[in-house]
Amino acid sequence: MNPPRALSRIELLQGTLDLIILQTLRWGPRHGYGIAQMIRASSDDVLQVDTGSLYPALYRLERQGWIAAEWSKSENKQRVRVYTLTAKGRKQLERERSQWEQLSHAIAAILAPSAESEP
Amino acid sequence: MTPSDDEIQEEIAAHLRMAIADRMARGASRDEAERAARAEFGNVTHVAEVTREMQGGLWLERLGQDLRYGWRALRRTPAFTLVAVLTLALAIGANSAVFTVVDSVLLQPLPFRDPGRLYAVSYLPTNLPFELPPGLDDRLYLEYRRHDLRFERVTGYQRQELTLSGGGDATRVPGARAGATFFAVLGVQPELGRGFTPEEDEAGNDRVVILSDRLWRARFNGDPAILGKTITLDGITRTIVGVMPRGFTFPAASQLWTPLALRLDPGNSFIFPVVGRLRADATPEQAKSELVAIARARPEDPRAAGLTPAAAIIPLQDTVTGKAQASLYILAGAVAFVLLIACANVANLLLIRAATRRHEMALRVALGASRARIVRQLLTESVLIALLGGTAGIIVAFVGVHALLAIAPAGRIPRIDEVHLNGWVLGFTLTVSLVTGILFGVVPARSGARREPREALGHGTRLVGGPHRRLRAGFVTGEIALALVLMTGAGLMIKSFLVMRSLDTGYDASRVVTMAVDLPPIAYADATRIRMFHTQLLERLARIPGVDAVGAVSFRPMAGMGIMGNFSVEGPTPLPHGYSVDKPTVSPGYFGALGIRILAGRDFTAADRAGAPGVVVVSQAVARHVWPGQDAVGKRISMQDDPGPNDWLTVIGVVNDVVQDEQLTRHSTIYLPYLQTTSPGFINHMTYVVRPVPGAANVAPAMRAALRDVDRGVPAQALQTMDQSMLDTIAEPVFQMRLLTAFALLALLLAALGTYGVLAYDVTERTREIGLRLALGATPGNVLRMVLRRTAALALAGALLGLGGALTLTRVLTKSLFEVQPTDPVTLLAVTVVLVLVALAAGFVPAQRATRIRALVALLQD
Repeated sequence: MNPPRALSRIELLQGTLDLIILQTLRWGPRHGYGIAQMIRASSDDVLQVDTGSLYPALYRLERQGWIAAEWSKSENKQRVRVYTLTAKGRKQLERERSQWEQLSHAIAAILAPSAESEP
Repeated sequence: MTPSDDEIQEEIAAHLRMAIADRMARGASRDEAERAARAEFGNVTHVAEVTREMQGGLWLERLGQDLRYGWRALRRTPAFTLVAVLTLALAIGANSAVFTVVDSVLLQPLPFRDPGRLYAVSYLPTNLPFELPPGLDDRLYLEYRRHDLRFERVTGYQRQELTLSGGGDATRVPGARAGATFFAVLGVQPELGRGFTPEEDEAGNDRVVILSDRLWRARFNGDPAILGKTITLDGITRTIVGVMPRGFTFPAASQLWTPLALRLDPGNSFIFPVVGRLRADATPEQAKSELVAIARARPEDPRAAGLTPAAAIIPLQDTVTGKAQASLYILAGAVAFVLLIACANVANLLLIRAATRRHEMALRVALGASRARIVRQLLTESVLIALLGGTAGIIVAFVGVHALLAIAPAGRIPRIDEVHLNGWVLGFTLTVSLVTGILFGVVPARSGARREPREALGHGTRLVGGPHRRLRAGFVTGEIALALVLMTGAGLMIKSFLVMRSLDTGYDASRVVTMAVDLPPIAYADATRIRMFHTQLLERLARIPGVDAVGAVSFRPMAGMGIMGNFSVEGPTPLPHGYSVDKPTVSPGYFGALGIRILAGRDFTAADRAGAPGVVVVSQAVARHVWPGQDAVGKRISMQDDPGPNDWLTVIGVVNDVVQDEQLTRHSTIYLPYLQTTSPGFINHMTYVVRPVPGAANVAPAMRAALRDVDRGVPAQALQTMDQSMLDTIAEPVFQMRLLTAFALLALLLAALGTYGVLAYDVTERTREIGLRLALGATPGNVLRMVLRRTAALALAGALLGLGGALTLTRVLTKSLFEVQPTDPVTLLAVTVVLVLVALAAGFVPAQRATRIRALVALLQD
């Protein structure tokens, strides 16, 4: 299978990982592992978030003030860092979401005619 | 709030635990679950680092991150770090050591008050066969001191060596005669007591002395009540009136000062250095024109006819550091080359390392690290390496300075006692480290960051060579070129040394031991007394068991001193103007003892004494010059300008010329017999030469004992082999040769290491290609040749470049070379061959490894 898997995964996630994380946190606070699991489950196992991308992204978002983090105890009593969407993050999510929708409409529009022309 | 490293680690650990627990819940075994979770997570350290980077933060915080990251990256590859740091430590340390000397000797201002305003005053003939150190003659000095307006004060001084006797063995102590204003001009006052008064600066009134701090402590136990006590110097009792502060030893390594107290001699004038403190509102140019005016205002001296004096006002510092300047700057340049080579080496190591870290860098770019950020990160790493190298380099420098001082020729490098590591040196080391870190880091960093993530993350595509290949080759070529330049310099110095050592000096120094004496003028006031001393001592020396021959000479060859002058010849043809000869005084037997051959006539004998007809022996050059084609023996000359009937001296013998001075040239010489010498000044300094029979025991102690028997108050000086004296004479070029050779060897070693490293990496990188070639039928011999061809190409390119550099740069050595041209083809060829052979040897190891590549394994490799 060409091109290599690693390449397509990273390129796919580059622009969209932030959006996906923010979207995931709309359903409530979660720790890193939980976020990864949730993305995987809600994308029907299509998207597997690379931890090497996830944690850097989480810290970047935290620095920008879109999410907040604090330590708490998980269901099985371990200390975990739990992330919450902030008000600023919520606004950002709306912005990114509308951008994404514009983009996906645009791409769909471009792809649609060529799909029709195929036999 | 930014999370700490620990928190990031903890968060990752929690993630892994949860992932493992989930997998186990789905039925996996603990081992399987752990392995799978880790595999899915990826490189924990990487993730932690990249995550940490995302925190951003302030400039300082980011620097801290970069440093921490760099430190961890270096610890992950200890072998690389060790090689890079050691390379730099050697190179930076060597540079710091040389800088320490350059700084102390050349850059640090002289330890006087406002030393920038101190100037040497000079008005001397320039058209003499030898070079005079700056100075004024005594009459002009007195005149100038009276009329000069541009200087606050001027003072004359003259170095001298005195015999300090009484209370223990007599010793020779270096010192100076100093004018009354000497200490005021320099702006240094005695720690105890006072300087000289103007009255004490007058002849007959001058029996006072000022001690150095060291002499005061060593000889007088730092006696606080020393003032007013007396010491005996050259048989004269002098009252101690002052002690100078610690560290003051100007000029040279003076340990005591007596008043200059000029006595004008109607027949002669004496030249000595003069220093003045320039007025704040005056310039050296004004002082110079004033000096010319004062000098020209004097009545014309017929003896000075034909001489063209030149005025000069020279910064005192330049006259102190004088000749050392050029050779120290050459050494500094040479050692800087070593540093450049080390930089090229480390840059190559970094390039190779960058190639192995392609994946890591690509990941970071993919994760959103900017190019600038990666360049900064890589630069931080290289600066970190350089700082580690610099720190270790300080230790190298410390050892290096001690080694330098140990091999430095005694008394040849001015201010050598002031040399020490100080804040300047530490600052220099730090700066050099930072600059080198950036220098060798910037190219690898830029090229490391330029890499497209797409290219690097795509596994399996192994480019042959890769874009760094040419860069690496460039660095190796460059360092080979630099090494060649250094080796040429060292080669030239070595050749020059060999030429000097094999030089036919005209005498035979083997086994000869010398001993010099200075007879104090009070106890030895007249020539009869002095001649008696020499006769007695010669007899005693001849009686030492195992001694074959003895002799004495007022100025032995290579002593760096002598008396030169003209003479008159009997007959119609006058001597050409300006023809002057050396005029040493010798004892009978001197020629035999030193192996100087008598070509015609006879040696002096004990019968050539006062009252007998005056005789001389001339050297071959004199005989040929004055009486070409004739027999010199029997001819008559005179040392007087206008000889009377009793002033004629008959030539009784002709001897071969000998190498006399530090320039290793043969002088025309007229030898006078000490038994007929009436002027004490020509025979009160004498060097004895003693030739033992082969295999005799060390005669030096017996020589010292013989001297003690004749006069306890006369210390033995320069008691050493003639061969050692010869080595002392060429000590400066030998010192330079040793250092240049050390640097050249270091450069060669580094260049060899660099060549090895790059070729070894080449072979690794081309494993598949080589494997393929072998699979397609290439023989190991083909592969070996292929790698060696590349080595040879690099070495030859470097050598060619280096030859160009050598031809332009070794010119600076011209003054240090003896009868060797800086473009000497034999030396150039020899060092090129050595360098190429060493490079080939360095390339042979990886070439051998290449032949052992197994075709299949190579092709299956990832």
